[in-house]
Amino acid sequence: MPELTPNGAPKIGVYVCHCGVNIAAKVNITEVVEFAKTLPFVTVAREYKFMCSDPGQELIQQDLREGKINRVVVASCSPLMHEATFRRATAEGGQNPFFFHMANIREHVSWVTADGHKATEKAKALIAAAVRRVAFHEPLEKKRVPVHPHVLIVGGGIAGIEAALKIADAGKKVYLVEREPTIGGHMAQFDKCFPTLDCAACILTPKMTQVRVHPNIELLTYSEVESVEPYDLRNFKVKIRRKARYVNEDTCTGCGLCAEVCPVSVPSEFDEGLGMRKAIYRPFPQAVPNAFTISRRGTPPCQAACSIHQNAQGYITLIAHGKFKEALDVILRDNPLPSICGRICTHPCTVNCTRGTVDEPLNIPGLKRFVTDLFPDYKLPQPKVNRSEKIAIVGSGPAGLMCAYELRQRGYWPTIYEAQPVPGGMLSVGIPAFRLPRDVITKEINRLKEIGIEIKTNTPVGKAITLEQLRQQYAAVFIAIGAHVERKLNVPGEDLPNVWGGIEFLRKVNLEGPFKIGNRVLVIGGGNSAIDAARTALRCGAEDVTIVYRRTRAEMPADPKEIEAAEEEGVKMIFLAAPKTILGNRETGVTALECLKMKLGAPDASGRPAPEPIPGSEFVLPCDAIIATIGQVPDIKSLGDKLGIETTRWGTFKVDEVTLETNIPGVFAGGDCVTGPDVVVNAMYAGKKAAISIDRYLNKLDMRAGREREGPYRTWYDIDTSGIAVQKQVPMPSIELARRRTFSEVHTGYTLEQAIAEAKRCLDCGICCDCRLCSTVCEAKAINYEMKDEFREIVVGSIILATGFKPFDARRIPRYGYGKYPNVYTALEVERMTNASGPTGGEIRLRDGRKPKAVGIIHCVGSRDRNYNSYCSRVCCLYSLKLAHLIKERTGAEVYNFYIDMRVPGKAYEEFYDRMLEEGIHFIRGRVAEVTDHAMTPDEEGKLVIRAEDTLIGVIRRIPVDMVVLAVGLEPQADADEVRRKFYISCGTGGFFLERHPKLAPVQTFADGIFIAGACQGPKDIQDTVAQAGAAAAEVLSLIDRGFVELEPNTAFIQEELCSGCKTCIPLCPFSAISFNSDKGIAVINEALCKGCGTCVAACPSGAAQQHLFTDEQIYQEIEGVLSYV
Amino acid sequence: MSKEWEPRIVAFFCTWCTYTAADLAGISRMTYAPNARIIRVMCSGRIDPQFVLKAFHDGADGVLIGGCHPGDCHYQAGNYKALRRYTLLKRVLTEMGIEPERLRLEWISASEGDRVQKVMNEMAETIRKLGPLPLERPLPQPLPETERGAVPLTSPWPSPYTEREGVRLGLRGR
Repeated sequence: MPELTPNGAPKIGVYVCHCGVNIAAKVNITEVVEFAKTLPFVTVAREYKFMCSDPGQELIQQDLREGKINRVVVASCSPLMHEATFRRATAEGGQNPFFFHMANIREHVSWVTADGHKATEKAKALIAAAVRRVAFHEPLEKKRVPVHPHVLIVGGGIAGIEAALKIADAGKKVYLVEREPTIGGHMAQFDKCFPTLDCAACILTPKMTQVRVHPNIELLTYSEVESVEPYDLRNFKVKIRRKARYVNEDTCTGCGLCAEVCPVSVPSEFDEGLGMRKAIYRPFPQAVPNAFTISRRGTPPCQAACSIHQNAQGYITLIAHGKFKEALDVILRDNPLPSICGRICTHPCTVNCTRGTVDEPLNIPGLKRFVTDLFPDYKLPQPKVNRSEKIAIVGSGPAGLMCAYELRQRGYWPTIYEAQPVPGGMLSVGIPAFRLPRDVITKEINRLKEIGIEIKTNTPVGKAITLEQLRQQYAAVFIAIGAHVERKLNVPGEDLPNVWGGIEFLRKVNLEGPFKIGNRVLVIGGGNSAIDAARTALRCGAEDVTIVYRRTRAEMPADPKEIEAAEEEGVKMIFLAAPKTILGNRETGVTALECLKMKLGAPDASGRPAPEPIPGSEFVLPCDAIIATIGQVPDIKSLGDKLGIETTRWGTFKVDEVTLETNIPGVFAGGDCVTGPDVVVNAMYAGKKAAISIDRYLNKLDMRAGREREGPYRTWYDIDTSGIAVQKQVPMPSIELARRRTFSEVHTGYTLEQAIAEAKRCLDCGICCDCRLCSTVCEAKAINYEMKDEFREIVVGSIILATGFKPFDARRIPRYGYGKYPNVYTALEVERMTNASGPTGGEIRLRDGRKPKAVGIIHCVGSRDRNYNSYCSRVCCLYSLKLAHLIKERTGAEVYNFYIDMRVPGKAYEEFYDRMLEEGIHFIRGRVAEVTDHAMTPDEEGKLVIRAEDTLIGVIRRIPVDMVVLAVGLEPQADADEVRRKFYISCGTGGFFLERHPKLAPVQTFADGIFIAGACQGPKDIQDTVAQAGAAAAEVLSLIDRGFVELEPNTAFIQEELCSGCKTCIPLCPFSAISFNSDKGIAVINEALCKGCGTCVAACPSGAAQQHLFTDEQIYQEIEGVLSYV
Repeated sequence: MSKEWEPRIVAFFCTWCTYTAADLAGISRMTYAPNARIIRVMCSGRIDPQFVLKAFHDGADGVLIGGCHPGDCHYQAGNYKALRRYTLLKRVLTEMGIEPERLRLEWISASEGDRVQKVMNEMAETIRKLGPLPLERPLPQPLPETERGAVPLTSPWPSPYTEREGVRLGLRGR
């Protein structure tokens, strides 16, 4: 509760301001002053024309000094305007400045009330409230808080650069953060600046260089502010993300050799899409810093989906550019079996290929195979390190081979134990030679042997050597025995002769050669093995091969292209049928298969509709051989009894998902023997994972850390595919049908032209394709592909936001034809054209290269329009004049400017406009209705017609032109709302950052210590931007020089004797200013942290918590006062 | 002196958004009904339900609370607390027989001067239609002037206030 003031009872002086006529015109000042005299404790009531002026303030001070008053009420404008002024006046009169209160009778009364009488009544009510309140004011002291001398400037355009230089020249430290790779902003894109037509680069680049060499400026480009936390009362702790450039800024010399070899080109943002740039690039030659940057969107969908993360975009881009050897190097980085994968991989990469959204995905395995075929004698890279440990691998299938390769590259010595007479696992026994020629497998295995991998064939583990012995002789063991035991059909007659398991049949053909299995062969199953078995049966001489599958074609797990190939070769298919009984006897063998018709029911565990038998629908298929390929299980028993390794209920090994370790330390398992039958690339993924685990295991490192991205994952990028012509996949050439009864390879591979044509379809999803050609030519060794985003934390006392603008998107006005007609340009695009270092070398040309003979410039595109932005963008009339002049000068074309008003305020602007009038540029006053290519007369053929009403003559005109330039307005940056939240400020109308006061505080915001400058505050030209940058710099320097700020003493406090320790207030404080003192059993507020919101005060049930300047009693008095008078 | 009854509205506005918006409305010379008297607090979270109750008790026919938009509070979360209290308070008022439309909560940002105008006009109209709040309550009293030197330190309300000519409105039957 407020105590009695030391200077006795309140003697209140009420001063009513006329504010010229602002208040006096509506409010009857005399009546109000007379009323004030009647209020309790009022000893003095005066009026004056301008209370905030010196004589006005003197009135207060005199009354204070003479002891007539000890509290002050001023009824005038808003406290947000002049509270500080009058508090200072009170202080100078010798009284505590907080014995003052203000009644707002201007903004809240005289300016908003129509009726003078009502305005006067309202003014009286507010003054009554103020008088009653001020009687309960207490003396308070402002708290001084030091301001950190460092400054952060966000945005490296001309505003940021200017402010940085000014502050740095004064000897203060500046951090300049810019999110593009270079500073310069939009000004760097311009050619000439109005009205002097001096070259933008000539005035900008010296300043950019100054920033670079200034000892007080720390330049952080390609960086963004992550978060801003309040720190130490009035300062800021800022976290900055330094995005990975993949090029070392300090060592890069800017020579540009990397960009010459980079195969990826994308539209250049700096050139507004008119020109191209490489994936490794520098926005413009005078960039500061002059280092290159690699733009990498992220891992492309193909690479992410591949289980071993083959860099598909990399080698495809290199193929498209004819760099085949380099493509092979990229492939061999991650895959030691590319000749095999290129032929038989199930290509999860193509499923996610972005090109699939346009027409068809790329034939990625086909392209891989093309490269490997081109260099038949390539070698795998030799390991660069050497270790002594030996590792045993059981099984030489793709899992075992990959594991061996990865271990060998890490320096270890793997030995593979293979039970079959040939290595390769399922590759050699399960995949037929017409898909994967035997010599390809042999060559691949030989390449592995050449780098030091030992393979012992005909050495089954469990018979020739036990698992226990392996564990003793080797440092670690990887079990990759695959799944080679065919599942049984479990129907009667399965044991009859000539009933084969699919893998059994394929193994026999692969190891011993083709044999006549029968004439009418039935194959049961729908996976790739079934298709392989069927096609192999045909090549073994069968005349009639039929596939029997229990679901429909849509649910067949086999590759659709394989199913098509089988049908082409003559394989018949029967769907929705399942075997019931195999008919025949021991002597004749199989004679027929009795089947049941099925129908599709509800989905089962695999997600596909489960087949349900139709009772009584049996039918018989005569045959003399049956091949059943319905799935395989691993032959765990072959490894021996009492292995001690845990298994799952499906008969596979149980392993840790992340490390592939079994329950026995040092024994790992992977591939089909863990997952059940799966594809080759997943087996290779398991082999690589096991190799990484074994490496960590042997070095006693954490086996689980950082392994999330090892397997396939999904990425997706929003690529703009509009305008890409549909071009389907280049078909893979195959041998003619007549030869499809031999075991020669069916697919013959792409020719050079076909491969390049297919590779050119790639959309470059990741932009940089990670081909690494740039590092091969970089002499400064500045490229580092392992760079990651880094974080930097700094402490600053002031922040200047100079984040600039973005041009209005002309596509939002479809009737102007931007994006529809090729020769409609935005002003910024034309700027780039006129710029001598731009994409056209300074020539203004139409899209087909011709010089325009007539050009129309349309003003106010997106500005002064209630449908888009209602404000005027301020610079467009002037730059339109500038462009009109430049176009006329360079092309001699007739130029028409379509304007509403000519807004040319500013120094020398009107004279500039006059000059343009004299140059013969045509001005038509009228808002353009549309741009069309519909010709109504022969003159208009082939031209763009601008339709507008010429309001000065009152006629609707059609002006045919070759080129249309849209003077697009200025808008706030797309992320302005997000940015302003980070910095605790607001956005005003139009979305630009809100200044504290448009006239008196244009660069300050409502957040102390945060300033704004330039186009981010509102559309403006370069000279006003520079002026505002200077203003912001002055604000900041004034703060730093003073060294402190004074905090408003409206903090909350707890009256100990009233606090019951209920703790209601403690969780309410967003600044964690309240804590609990368990000794005393009361809550305690840390005054230093309290920001003065009063939330805890409102919540306190006992009234123990109060807020200085806003105590409960003070507000109650205000309520009473406001209601005591109508 | 009896006057035609005019709705009496007390508005509690937070400094950073709502009060600034009201200033903006003034700077833009937007005219609106003068019935609401604005009392400034730092944050809408400062508004104790007791303020609202006292306002109704002391003669207000309507109470308006203004705060920053959710997510924009200068003090992070004060406006959420205000919303909580307002929701509960509205229930309590309804139980007490006070029409829920008499208490209104508005989110107004610093650039929304036009919204201030709209809300003020709407509120005045709403209360005008509802009529005066028929509460039996004593009239607020002024601070005792008898002894210069003693400022009462008692509990906040009700404090005595002698009736003045023409201050109270006829329709209350007093």
